[in-house]
Amino acid sequence: MSSRRPRSPVISGLVLFLACNRGTPPQPPSDDAAPASDVAGRTAAPAVVSDGPPRLFRNAKVMTAAGDIFERADVLVVGGRISAVGPGLAAPDGAVVVDAAGKTITPGIIDTHSHIGVYAAPGLNGHSDGNEASAPNTAYARAEDAYWPQDPQIDRARAGGVTTAQILPGSANLIGGRSVTVRFLPDARSVADVKFPGAPYGLKMACGENPKRVYGDKSGPKTRMGNAAGYRDAFQKAKEYERTWSKYQKDHADWDKNKGKPPPAGKDGQPGKPPDEPQPPARDFGLETLSLVLKGEILVHNHCYRADEMSQMLDLAKAYGFKIRSFHHAVEAYKIADRLAAADTAASIWADWWGFKAEAFDGILENAALLHAAGGRSIIHSDSATGIQRLNHEAAKAMHAGRRIGIDISENDALRWLTANPAWALGIDHEVGTLTPGKRADLVVWSGDPFSVYTRAEQVYIDGEPVFVRGTYEPGTDFELGYNPGAAPPAAVQPVPSNMSAAH
Amino acid sequence: MSHILLAALTLLAPAPPARPAAPVAVVTGGDLHVGDGTVVKNATVLMRDGKFAAVGGPELAASAPADATRVDATGKVVTPGLIAADNQLGLVEIDLEGSTHDDARSGDHPIRAAYDASRAFHAESSLIQVQAIGGVTTAAVAPAGGLLSGQVAWVDLVHGDHRGALSKAGVAIDGNLGHSYDNSRAAALAKLHEVLTDAQVFRGRKDAYERAQTRPFAAHALDLQALQPALAGQIPLTLSADRASDILAAIDLAKEYKLRLVVVGGSEAWKVAPELAAAKVPVVVQPSRNLPSSFDTLGARLDNAALLAAAGVPVVIAWLDDSHNLRNMTQEAGIAVANGLPWAAALRAITLEPAVAYGQSATHGSVAVGKVANLVVWSGDPLELSSRPTHVFVRGRAIPMVSRQTLLRDRYRSLDKFGSAESTKSTDARPRPDTGAAATTATTAAPPQK
Repeated sequence: MSSRRPRSPVISGLVLFLACNRGTPPQPPSDDAAPASDVAGRTAAPAVVSDGPPRLFRNAKVMTAAGDIFERADVLVVGGRISAVGPGLAAPDGAVVVDAAGKTITPGIIDTHSHIGVYAAPGLNGHSDGNEASAPNTAYARAEDAYWPQDPQIDRARAGGVTTAQILPGSANLIGGRSVTVRFLPDARSVADVKFPGAPYGLKMACGENPKRVYGDKSGPKTRMGNAAGYRDAFQKAKEYERTWSKYQKDHADWDKNKGKPPPAGKDGQPGKPPDEPQPPARDFGLETLSLVLKGEILVHNHCYRADEMSQMLDLAKAYGFKIRSFHHAVEAYKIADRLAAADTAASIWADWWGFKAEAFDGILENAALLHAAGGRSIIHSDSATGIQRLNHEAAKAMHAGRRIGIDISENDALRWLTANPAWALGIDHEVGTLTPGKRADLVVWSGDPFSVYTRAEQVYIDGEPVFVRGTYEPGTDFELGYNPGAAPPAAVQPVPSNMSAAH
Repeated sequence: MSHILLAALTLLAPAPPARPAAPVAVVTGGDLHVGDGTVVKNATVLMRDGKFAAVGGPELAASAPADATRVDATGKVVTPGLIAADNQLGLVEIDLEGSTHDDARSGDHPIRAAYDASRAFHAESSLIQVQAIGGVTTAAVAPAGGLLSGQVAWVDLVHGDHRGALSKAGVAIDGNLGHSYDNSRAAALAKLHEVLTDAQVFRGRKDAYERAQTRPFAAHALDLQALQPALAGQIPLTLSADRASDILAAIDLAKEYKLRLVVVGGSEAWKVAPELAAAKVPVVVQPSRNLPSSFDTLGARLDNAALLAAAGVPVVIAWLDDSHNLRNMTQEAGIAVANGLPWAAALRAITLEPAVAYGQSATHGSVAVGKVANLVVWSGDPLELSSRPTHVFVRGRAIPMVSRQTLLRDRYRSLDKFGSAESTKSTDARPRPDTGAAATTATTAAPPQK
């Protein structure tokens, strides 16, 4: 099957590069892609993101993640965006019609926590690019600088219905650096080809055991005391950095205002020398990143397991005036579900991982469900190149665990743990996360109920263009070329005994 | 207020002592999947003194005594208890905490055949109940590390029973191929040859050994002795190997020393399926493993189990990652089905096949009269994510469906007793206990805020 690539983000025109300017009012410089949304005023995205033909998916069960679940409906995609969802849609001229009878369509899955591309497979020394473990605060580091778009794990994640993921630095450091949100487009030659257009950066922070373990025998931190001191120190310095830049901006504005006026006379009554143009302070990329956190333009993603520690981090964030967008792993979120809901801080969690370290010892199956019940934002994340391939399974386990103790969780709710909620956590919910007209047409055609263990993603689309079609178009990276000669074709799937599928 | 006090007192009161279950239990009405592929509709299973006493139709129920434990499984699915192959259950409590590890002796000697996992097994491990209420009733607990790691213990998941949990010690010798010795697969194989040959020599020359009249051996006498049952073909050698060439080397080794081989991991086993089938070597796989994580697993694929089964290789499905989630072996079996393994073969791969692979099918793996009464009643398809065990019998007793996790869940099911969510004051403004101001985090004695 031939596939048209979605337009690259560059065509979408959102990647701006810093111009080291003199004319415009100086700001603490930013070389970010334009930030999204409630963060700092969303930029208008282009109405057309793909020049492919319109596509009409017919007669599928459609789960929009926006509340509606249609037992039988159509999805119309025009210009790479969702145009309409509902029964009996007409195919526009030139539309490609996809028969999806018996299938289920959902939004593309979004993973808030992946190290794919920075910890690529195979796990070679040469591929170990996820932890800049050279100092406990490396706010200046950026995951995008290490992302390898030929990581074979990308292909497998895409085949699991994942269209977008946040690629994070590891958790060795108190502050690991900037994350990058990417789309799992095939045929990428650099990270710029796959960065999510307009997505804000995230900041990776880590609590607890990992920084202690990594730096305990080096320069520290050696304890959780040292961890907290490190966060305080970093954000205090960021405040001071902001102050320095604010003063400079004010001085420069004053200078600019008086530029045309005659300078005041000197002591001798002669015309004075015009004042020198104030010069910008030294630029510090780490402090700049943290100051953008304080402004709300970079979203904080905080690896943190224990309830007490998450509570303390909420306190610390409040004291410094920033928000934690999502805790990650958060195996004890259920102990402070009310506090997380009140702070509007999401929890990106596993369905059932526990016990592999002391701070993960109190994990329970009902974690996502209890946070959901308290009005919080649950997100099922992977942190695993294996788990990312079946996030639908993980959401199913978490949903059923909650239902078993009487918590009302709809399939729409559980789907949102994989789509709408992660989109919000990444600041891209205006563009993806639900099948809502106007959003990018990132979607998955599943072989059946996405919450069944037997279901597989059959087709995956980004911006309305196919990026995976099982059996016909399964893109592979350069790395695997030439290995596994003469491999057997995929095994044919056998039907599950009908008395089984009925026996829920 | 009084009801709060009452609730608090209830929480403080010691749990009533668990009443021992009746020695007879009977499960009626469900669809029984025996484990060997046969299905009995509306089955009655009678358990007595820890063994299956009878399997039949509804008429059997009448033969149970009045005080028998009775479970109505109508509309449910009944299977043998699941058997978890190759794990460190009861040997490791927290992976990153070395002080909780008992899965290997320290030191770097590669030959540890005498290391007996049964002597390190902790019957009170919190992991046991978590797996048991997920339907896992038996585990093949294996030591880890080295070239030959030690002896595998066959354990029934009777939580807290220090004397009773062990079913049988030394059911297999466990080891590892690949870079398990001297960072060289060739060195690993050479060392295995050396040790196995020494063990053969040792068997015939024990007296000479005692008189110090033998050449030096490559391993301690205890290790050489521990290898004898494997060399006699009485117990299997379970070898972790992923790369196709390692698997072939293992087959050759087994042929040369007449060993019963079980391959564990087997990421590339599908590439040598005909050889494995011809040698009747079971392969323990984790179906979700499809990543080229190393150059040993470049051929890893999701339909490994399906391809092996189609070629006639006995397939065991296991959770080979950390032992905290052995319960996910049902999901793994489901993944195998989604990728081509017939459903019945997948169920067999988590019940009877592991028992056969470890030589324990006389007592475990299927619902047959005389076998250990490990049985699970499922709310539905045991491989499906929506299903859960409603009842689990280990050695004929219904276990409490409780774990450390369910206790945590129940403690935090309502957060009312913990006071307001509005605790997060700024770090500097936090009230101090000595000011008399209300504490931010109420104690359990404080009245609920709602």
